[in-house]
Amino acid sequence: MARFILSACVAAQIALSGVSMLTAQEGTTYDDNALRLEGHIGDVRIVRGAQGTVLGKIGVFRGIDVAKLVSPSEKATIEAKNFAHDYGPGTWLTSLGIATLGAAIGVSRIHDVNSSITTGLMLAGTGLIAYGGGRLQNAYNALSRSVWWYNRDLTR
Amino acid sequence: MKSRIFQALVIGASVIGATAGAQTIGHAAPPVATPGSGTTIVSGRTAAPGDSSRSYDAQALRFETHWGSADIIRGADGRVIGTVGWFRDFDVEKLVASSPQAVTEARAFKTNNFRGSVVGGLGALTLVVGAVVTANSSNNAASPILIIAGGGAMVWGAQHLNAGYSKLSRAFWLYNRDLTR
Repeated sequence: MARFILSACVAAQIALSGVSMLTAQEGTTYDDNALRLEGHIGDVRIVRGAQGTVLGKIGVFRGIDVAKLVSPSEKATIEAKNFAHDYGPGTWLTSLGIATLGAAIGVSRIHDVNSSITTGLMLAGTGLIAYGGGRLQNAYNALSRSVWWYNRDLTR
Repeated sequence: MKSRIFQALVIGASVIGATAGAQTIGHAAPPVATPGSGTTIVSGRTAAPGDSSRSYDAQALRFETHWGSADIIRGADGRVIGTVGWFRDFDVEKLVASSPQAVTEARAFKTNNFRGSVVGGLGALTLVVGAVVTANSSNNAASPILIIAGGGAMVWGAQHLNAGYSKLSRAFWLYNRDLTR
């Protein structure tokens, strides 16, 4: 009889510990690990979990390896690669556009310069800003999708 | 004796199994409205392992920006359900109403977005006026003040718009979290 009770207790203990472990995993996965993006002046931060741990900052000419961060999710990794593909050129082209526009304003102050040069620089600068801005926008949208897919695969 | 031990193990495991089942019902899916009935029912069905993922696929929100505005997108198929941004009015609070914490963040987004839009817009207007006055080569002392004030207002507005989108991101994060419970 004593063995019977002991066996029942052992079975109960094994089963109970298994259940509580599973519950803890299910309850904390999203809260602890899900990512989101938060914008600050000059950078975008990748934040993890309810407590808001900053994993990395993406700013002008600097970034983190997003593909590595979201590597557990295949689709998230593809979008992270799209982000990396557009972010670098987008940043450089936008910066070049701003510099060109600055040069156009500078040249326009010089009286004996052909006005077509100023106009050309203005158009080139605006075009570069628009194109670079578009690439940056694509990059951030890919980043948003990447985070979405990563969080989606967390909840499985 | 061995069969008794085996019996005890089975009974012990089944008792615990029943307890675990009862606990699962405690975490059952949130009330679901039946279309057209006007009532809510509590689903007693235990979620299958793939259910949370399917729910996320269909319902989870995100946003993508498009030149000053942001499209709110639902689900894996990327359905655009609304647009927010400069002077655009879309009821995000209503959208995330199922999650109280998300509603708080959505309200903060609305406030920040409105302030950022108004102050940023006025700043841009002031800056343009200042630039026009300067371009006309008039020695008006007000022109540098207009440019500086306009630029400052634009930065302040941008800061608030930025803060607003962070709140929106948090609102969707919380909403999506509550989907997966």
